[in-house]
Amino acid sequence: LAGAGGDGGGNNEVQWCFLQVKGAIDEDVAEADIISTVEFNYTGDLLATGDKGGRVVIFQREQETKSRPLCRGEYNVYSTFQSHEPEFDYLKSLEIEEKINKIRWLPQQNAAHFLLSTNDKTIKLWKISERDKRAEGYNLKDEDGRLREPFRVTELRVPTLKPMDLMVEASPRRTFANAHTYHINSISVNSDYATYLSADDLRINLWHLEVTNRSFNIVDIKPANMEELTEVITAAEFHPHHCNVFVYSSSKGTIRLCDMRSAALCDQHSKFFEEPEDPSSRSFFSEIISSISDVKFSHSGRYMMTRDYLSVKVWDLNMENKPVETYQVHEYLRSKLCSLYENDCIFDKFECCWNGSDSTIMTGSYNNFFRTFERGSRRDATLEASRESSKPRAVLKPRKVCTSGKRKKDEITVDSLDFNKKILHTAWHPMENIIAVAATNNLYLFQEKVN
Amino acid sequence: MLGRGLKRKLSDYEENMAGLSSAFDSSRSLPYPLKRQLVLNMCLTKLQTYKMLVEPNLHRSVLIANTVRQIQEEMRQESSQQPVSICPGIAPAAHSYTGMESPGIPLQLPSGVGQQESHCCDLRSAEDPIENSLLIVSDDDMSSAISSILKDLDFVEDISPPTCLVPTGDDQPKFPENTGLKLEDDRQDLKGAECVFGSFEISNSTSYLKDLAIDDIFEDIDTSMYDSDFCCPPLTPPRSPSLATEEPLKTFPSCNSSSANNIQICRTDLSELDHIMEILVGS
Repeated sequence: LAGAGGDGGGNNEVQWCFLQVKGAIDEDVAEADIISTVEFNYTGDLLATGDKGGRVVIFQREQETKSRPLCRGEYNVYSTFQSHEPEFDYLKSLEIEEKINKIRWLPQQNAAHFLLSTNDKTIKLWKISERDKRAEGYNLKDEDGRLREPFRVTELRVPTLKPMDLMVEASPRRTFANAHTYHINSISVNSDYATYLSADDLRINLWHLEVTNRSFNIVDIKPANMEELTEVITAAEFHPHHCNVFVYSSSKGTIRLCDMRSAALCDQHSKFFEEPEDPSSRSFFSEIISSISDVKFSHSGRYMMTRDYLSVKVWDLNMENKPVETYQVHEYLRSKLCSLYENDCIFDKFECCWNGSDSTIMTGSYNNFFRTFERGSRRDATLEASRESSKPRAVLKPRKVCTSGKRKKDEITVDSLDFNKKILHTAWHPMENIIAVAATNNLYLFQEKVN
Repeated sequence: MLGRGLKRKLSDYEENMAGLSSAFDSSRSLPYPLKRQLVLNMCLTKLQTYKMLVEPNLHRSVLIANTVRQIQEEMRQESSQQPVSICPGIAPAAHSYTGMESPGIPLQLPSGVGQQESHCCDLRSAEDPIENSLLIVSDDDMSSAISSILKDLDFVEDISPPTCLVPTGDDQPKFPENTGLKLEDDRQDLKGAECVFGSFEISNSTSYLKDLAIDDIFEDIDTSMYDSDFCCPPLTPPRSPSLATEEPLKTFPSCNSSSANNIQICRTDLSELDHIMEILVGS
């Protein structure tokens, strides 16, 4: 695969500099503004975010202009719309949260852009289209839309298209509802661009993008007796190239790869990925921290990456008994697991992502820290998304958490980490070194330093 | 802390828990059984808190339930190897939890702690604040906590058709209604105890149903075989969920209680009633 533009090609470590930050500066964060998902589209020109209030904001990358060649593409708001509203299920006396759990783009096939957004229960297909022309010179109505008096129409004319200010419209094209009893955690568009899957705690359904009144159940792990339930589905994704293959991860730290050609109901897996537990690190919380919060295929389709509470693992699809690489995200938290269990932080679901060339992976941590791991060189960095380091083109300084007694200058101790500042959602531009990091209600954009 | 009296506020309990969990993390001298007990208490507290929610988080509930089961298994193995229990004070305490006997009422944690303290003060010195503030729980309570929360999660009207069939009228009732009273005797077979607890929950909720005046309508129908039938969800035809429950709701106007738990119990009964109606119509 071609390396991302200027990725250091060899031994130079990528240096990140601040590009932009979106969102309110207020210390008081409105719950609805908390970003719950971030996703670049296939070209990287559009960046979508979803929040707890059910809104979707799409940013578009500005084209580089000759007049400002140094100002490499900034992202500005392109469209904002309310994707999901809070619902109340009167029969069950349950509130259905409007929080957007996931957004997934469809590949662009015409002038319009399409994306899927989902909350706990309902998936919606949105069409985002531009309108920059307006028809003028109608026969039956005036410019302001009022009907013309018939006797005033003395001649026929052909309406002409005149340019107007760009208007971006978002309209819901499909609503895929009533197929999930439990909470949807993942959606994934298939490489056939015609189907997609949606996964909740116990089931995975396959949809056709054109059909909203029917979906096919392809995985069902609900036991006949709920008292026997010991495992739930935590994430699922289609293979990027093989449209019959998908994976799903579980709360027990396992991943199952399924082939839809082998059976209609994929309860039997084709491959089962599990790393045997290290008995020396066993604790009461071993199972909880092994729960996988995210699974992502590499762009090549040869590897997949899983995120559990303390680490990121890269798996070769041809090797089921252990991952090929394991990266410790914040191992210093292992000795704090009881406190993290007590305050529920141990259940935080961190996501992870690949860069365009699959050479580097990224995931978030606490205190608004996020981590990048270069696979080849085994170099890792801890960076912080903060307002303090938000000067234009300011280079991000690597951060360090002090794990032993003596704290060096600029280091931060484990006890002074802010566990309310968690970076759960990150995204990497599909081709360039531009990353989007969601820090509560703010979206930070960083790009590679260009000399 | 102990001088404040037996009944503690929940906030004190929470503060205590936070202090205990950091003690767990930082102290190497804390004995293993104590650490285990602390984790167990935290798990059960969380499960109880979730039980009070209208819609508990399934993922978290399963993880916590598994942790409890793991600890339970460990403790079982230890007690089977050693006749004397390692941690003094893990005494059968089912009788002190009056909260478990009435459905829909959450476990009264503060009073539970208070009662335990009155038991434990005799056994241990009052100088050990960590031990004294731990909530001592019996094995059956753990099983019942797991069972009941997972059963409650199953009340959710499921869109997919259930996989198992309803037992026919020839089946003998599996669990008599007064099973709950014999629980202390069933301690040996704990797996059996879990199932028993499951039926304990349902049989209570069925008796709730019988308190309703609607009983008169079904006077001539023998519903005893369905009283403790909890293993399989009732078979409902694949129609929209709203239809399935709308009719019973119209018939039972008294089912609009303010407590979310009561609505949950009511709904389980309504689906069972629906099933009974199916049988009637079918015959």
